[in-house]
Amino acid sequence: MSTGELLRRAIRRHRGRMVAGVLVLSLHQATEAAVPVAIGIFVDRAVTTGHVQPLLWCVLMMVVLFAVLSNAWKTGARQVVWAIEYETHLLRLEIAQRVLDPRGHRTGLRSGELLSIATSDAEKAALVMRSVSIGAAACTALIVSSVSLLLVDVPLGLGVLIGVPLLVLGIQALSPLLTRRTSSQQEAVAQTTALATDLVSGLRTLRGIGAQHNAAARYRRSSEATLRATLRAASTNGLQDGVTTALSGLLLAAVAGVSGWFALNGRITIGELITVVGLAQFVAEPVGTLGYASQVLAMSRASAERLASVLSAPPLTTTGTSTVVDSAQPLLTLEGVSHGSLSSLTLTLQPGESVGVLCYDPRDADALLAVIAGRAPEHTGTVLVGGTALEELDVDVIRRTLLLERHETDLFEGTLRSNLLVDAGLERVMTAAGAADLIEELDRPLADRGQSLSGGQRQRLGLARALLAEPPLLVLHDPSTAVDAVTEELLAEGLAEERMGRTTLVLTSSPALLGKMDRVVVISDGAVVAEGIHSELAASDLAYREAVLR
Amino acid sequence: MNLLPVAGPRATWGVLWREIRRLPVLSVVAALVITGASAAGLVAPWALGVLIDNIDNMADKAAIVRVVVLIGLAAVLAGVLTALGVTLVARVGETVLARIREQVLDRVLQLPAPVLEKVRTGDLLSRVGDDVASVASALTEVGPSVLGAALTIVLTVGGMFALDWRLGLAGLLAVPMYYLALRWYLRRSAPYYKQERVAMGERSEAIIASLRGSATVRAYRLEDRQLAKIGETSGTARDISITVFRLFSFFSSRINHAEFTGLTAILVTGFFLVREDSVSVGAVTAAALYFHRLFNPVNVVLMEFDQIQTAAAGLSRLAGVLEIEPAPEPPDHAGPSDASLELQQITHHYDGPGVLTEVSLRLEPGERVALVGASGAGKTTLAAIAAGVLAPSAGTVRLGGVDIRDLGEDRTRAQVALLSQEVHVFSGTLLEDVQLARPEAAAADVEAALDRVGALAWVRALPDGLDTVVGESGHPLTGAQAQQLAFARLVLADPPVAVLDEATAEAGSAGARELERASAAATAGRTTLVVAHRLTQAEQADRIVVLDHGRVAESGTHEALLASGGRYAQLWHSWTGTSTPDQPGERTTPASAST
Repeated sequence: MSTGELLRRAIRRHRGRMVAGVLVLSLHQATEAAVPVAIGIFVDRAVTTGHVQPLLWCVLMMVVLFAVLSNAWKTGARQVVWAIEYETHLLRLEIAQRVLDPRGHRTGLRSGELLSIATSDAEKAALVMRSVSIGAAACTALIVSSVSLLLVDVPLGLGVLIGVPLLVLGIQALSPLLTRRTSSQQEAVAQTTALATDLVSGLRTLRGIGAQHNAAARYRRSSEATLRATLRAASTNGLQDGVTTALSGLLLAAVAGVSGWFALNGRITIGELITVVGLAQFVAEPVGTLGYASQVLAMSRASAERLASVLSAPPLTTTGTSTVVDSAQPLLTLEGVSHGSLSSLTLTLQPGESVGVLCYDPRDADALLAVIAGRAPEHTGTVLVGGTALEELDVDVIRRTLLLERHETDLFEGTLRSNLLVDAGLERVMTAAGAADLIEELDRPLADRGQSLSGGQRQRLGLARALLAEPPLLVLHDPSTAVDAVTEELLAEGLAEERMGRTTLVLTSSPALLGKMDRVVVISDGAVVAEGIHSELAASDLAYREAVLR
Repeated sequence: MNLLPVAGPRATWGVLWREIRRLPVLSVVAALVITGASAAGLVAPWALGVLIDNIDNMADKAAIVRVVVLIGLAAVLAGVLTALGVTLVARVGETVLARIREQVLDRVLQLPAPVLEKVRTGDLLSRVGDDVASVASALTEVGPSVLGAALTIVLTVGGMFALDWRLGLAGLLAVPMYYLALRWYLRRSAPYYKQERVAMGERSEAIIASLRGSATVRAYRLEDRQLAKIGETSGTARDISITVFRLFSFFSSRINHAEFTGLTAILVTGFFLVREDSVSVGAVTAAALYFHRLFNPVNVVLMEFDQIQTAAAGLSRLAGVLEIEPAPEPPDHAGPSDASLELQQITHHYDGPGVLTEVSLRLEPGERVALVGASGAGKTTLAAIAAGVLAPSAGTVRLGGVDIRDLGEDRTRAQVALLSQEVHVFSGTLLEDVQLARPEAAAADVEAALDRVGALAWVRALPDGLDTVVGESGHPLTGAQAQQLAFARLVLADPPVAVLDEATAEAGSAGARELERASAAATAGRTTLVVAHRLTQAEQADRIVVLDHGRVAESGTHEALLASGGRYAQLWHSWTGTSTPDQPGERTTPASAST
């Protein structure tokens, strides 16, 4: 989907409300333009004449005018806001759905960037509707004002209609200077804020080495520098405000002079003079609004472009439709697989077997995991799951067969219990995962996606979650790195017991875990260099011993 | 628990006022100039009234020229004063803001340990981040425009009274309506705004969790559950936002009613006054134009009211931080006599059951002691207490024979450093990061420190060497590299006593060995207490203390503990995995133990 299509679709999806909103908001702008006209008429017809009947008519006119004005904005703005809110919601869901697609996505974006697309860009893209509606309404206001001015006096009206936009555009031409100053100022402010949050995030680290005074001094220097930048920007701001004030005042003087002269000659009435002067001041508003609407449109387009790039990104993994996973065949077979640092790796997991994999180089482990997880479709060699090529299997069948619990445990909002997903055997499995200490806290709500838990607690919860899912093939990556030696020993025993009779692959350098595996495979320089049971390898292989017994 | 105080209104304004008073001349001049600018803006409508009267009286052209020149001169004057006034007001606002943010950060960085121990980092972050930002926008953006608008309103109302007091009174009819509209809106919207913030927080939470954990979502087939959650929270936030806007649209419509009332009242009053010949048509026109001119400034004041309130709330939280008394530095007492560290009868409990029970431990100067134990045995708590970061419920910590309560924060920190499990790389250049420990250190000193912990080679290989920008948005460092930086900071800070509670395990086996070496190099010659996350860390220590459920279970050298065949021996044999406890002689010594 292209950027333009995304924006057009936004408007099309809410066309009823958009049409209603634009019409009613235009009416509102027309009534705003009519206020100075109405003051002129009031003075002309009622105040100068002193007759009661025109006074009543004029009061009625004001009542009607303000009733329309107030209801029009209320109604129109609500329609547009409704459309914007609903569109933002739809876009947000669409992005989330695309990102969470089981087959992954090839956007190449990190989660932080995707997050900002799903939140801030979705909001900004939907603002296309604000831009269109206020732009259309501003045009209406300009048309109404123009017609009123030309009806009063053609040369005078033309003068105002040319002079005011020239003035507004002239002032806007000044603003590149201003935006440059402002953006350098905003950058300075952002840096100082970032420094403050950074120092506070590392507060305990600072306090540990007594560096808080030094940190405070560094912040003071940054704050001073920012102050200097903002003061420079403040004088530019002041200049812009001053120029705007002076120029619009001078324009008013010119309009007042010419129309005063016309009124003196009897060419226009006093009421018309008031109308002209009032409109000359009013016209600047819709002209400014048009400039603002075009800025909003540009911002909305930029965001829509980012949304479109995510929505049209192809899936990461190649999947098929086969549902055949033969339980008699090895659950996982890698034959001559090369990818990244792996060169022609061959590895087979028989049903019911637990295998430990020790990679001397962490890049080998990452490459192996990428292949198994289907994140590396460009690999060479074959990967079979239950005798069927990984690429030919249906994505849900793969996910029911093979579960990979990552090294960094992702937890979700909710309680510990809701994060573990399965309730049966919960306490037994938590004990097996060395997480018995957390059983009492199962129903505690999890703050901050579990960031308040220690690294070791998160790892043990991740392991418990993986064990509870009871997948036919479980792949674990360094599941105990943040766990102390005593607990690691318990966890290794629990893992072996829970996975008894099922197939398990553990990438680790922990002797406690490797010692519990049926077989250990050692990978170096992308290929298998040794195989055997832990105790034999530890006794006979010096390199192995050095890598494992830290 | 939220222990950070929020200041009351008096104290809050006090903070602001104190800072403004520190700029007496600038503040007074700024106030005068901005008032002058608003006053110059009043000339035009009044002059237009005069113009109309002149036309009404069939005056000559010269009178019109005079009026036009007057409007022009007033415009130029207003322009000059506005340019000057806006600059000066911003200058006051920005300077006040800078002073307040510096004081707040200073106070946060030096929070007394008992307060720091209990506050959540999130609360601190929101004060130095969001609250400072909301106060900043109030002082520098919203503030000046609201101030300008308010001045214009006051002066314009004055101008209307100057034309004729009855016209002025007619215009004032709008004031109670504006007031009621604002009160109506603030009362009704406040709870919705609160709901909206909560709903938006929940929505971001659902999106963040799903996106950051997308690999896990896919692996466990949770996409439908997470999408439903996002849809639900996003839908709730959307509906509340629409409701809030509905309320706002009613508010806006009430403002229109007030505008109608004021404007019509002036014109009708003017009608009767003109009929009685007590005022001129020009005066009525000027009053109506004055009032019409007020629509925008009144809107500015009413619409920004919310933001002013938010900023006031933010300022009261900042003032609250400033209210925390800094920890008193105890009177000069004798300093530590040597580098020993002694824990006497330490008992500690957080809000629940005891974590440590009567732990006593003495480290001789230069001694290296390792703490071993399962999760929850109290190792980290004991380390924090030993480093004086956490005050124990009972018991005494002595550094070089002096109770740390008599030493005070600064002298304790000069004597003992704590490297905790929180590894943080500070944003900025790598040089600046390490220099935090000793700002006066030259680049050569930093290089020497990096060299000592074995980090100089990779630092030199970075794109800009020491000047490479690291941290959140800079060059990414591995966990092991970040840890090495922490060691380099320790070398520069150079305290006689070090407490290490760093988890080196994340680095993988090769990295772990590197770090082991770095740790030994950084602590050489220091009295060191190490929380052993790996058993090799224990093996290298002079003495090992095994903690079990908050008590000391065993203590002794590696060999002695192995020979005794207790808990440590059991662990060690399971760890090395090659022999049973009955045959200690056949155990395999890790190759890395020699380094």
